[in-house]
Amino acid sequence: MEMKKLVIEVPSEIKYIKDISSKILKLLATYGIDDDTLFDIKLCAEEALRNAIEHGNGCDKKRSVKVSLWVDDGKVNIEVEDKGSGYNPELLPDPTDNGNLMKNSGRGVYLIKKLMDEVKFNKAGNTITMMKRIG
Amino acid sequence: MSVKIEPKNGLTVCYIDGEVDINSSPDIKKSFDKLISKKTPKIVINFSKVAYVDSSGLATLVELLKNMKAYSGRMRLVGLSPKIKSLFEITKLEKLFEIMNTEDEAISTF
Repeated sequence: MEMKKLVIEVPSEIKYIKDISSKILKLLATYGIDDDTLFDIKLCAEEALRNAIEHGNGCDKKRSVKVSLWVDDGKVNIEVEDKGSGYNPELLPDPTDNGNLMKNSGRGVYLIKKLMDEVKFNKAGNTITMMKRIG
Repeated sequence: MSVKIEPKNGLTVCYIDGEVDINSSPDIKKSFDKLISKKTPKIVINFSKVAYVDSSGLATLVELLKNMKAYSGRMRLVGLSPKIKSLFEITKLEKLFEIMNTEDEAISTF
């Protein structure tokens, strides 16, 4: 049975990103996870939070972002939900295409997909659920 | 995060200490803006004291590179941890940047 270890809801402000990722890493510290895996989890949590705050909620402080973390069967699961109208992740341009390499943005979701073991979006496109194996 | 800028063997070497991410990107940009406004021709950025880079940090480095290329300047990155180097490989940014293992190697062949 999945057990939620952490649920945090914050206003859409960039300053909360580091607070939340610190809390996630603190909670995971007892699981003996290697540094590279923790790096991936931190990076992907922060990228998803930034997307939710900036793109999902348009940095509107009245709209919140909810983060849930749970660990089960040797897997770390993180869900990030915003109050925006969502987007279709399949329509995002590939940042590794030669024409996009020099662009200043567009690598967040790409990194999440590459570094996590499983990534799902809800139908509305305003909730991302990511899983990383730790066992 | 801090950026220490040192002239060395006719080049400019920048030592970043800390995380290169959404929080530090504006300050990093500001530090390099001074070098770019002076059209500094060759910059080596030493990452040996950087343990974390996110997509914002990558974007900042891309912007610096773009600004340098505008006046035919060149940038080399050295001392990247295997994990940070892997981010450049995954995003294919290794095609844009000159990434070398050590500062000595980057300086002696620049």
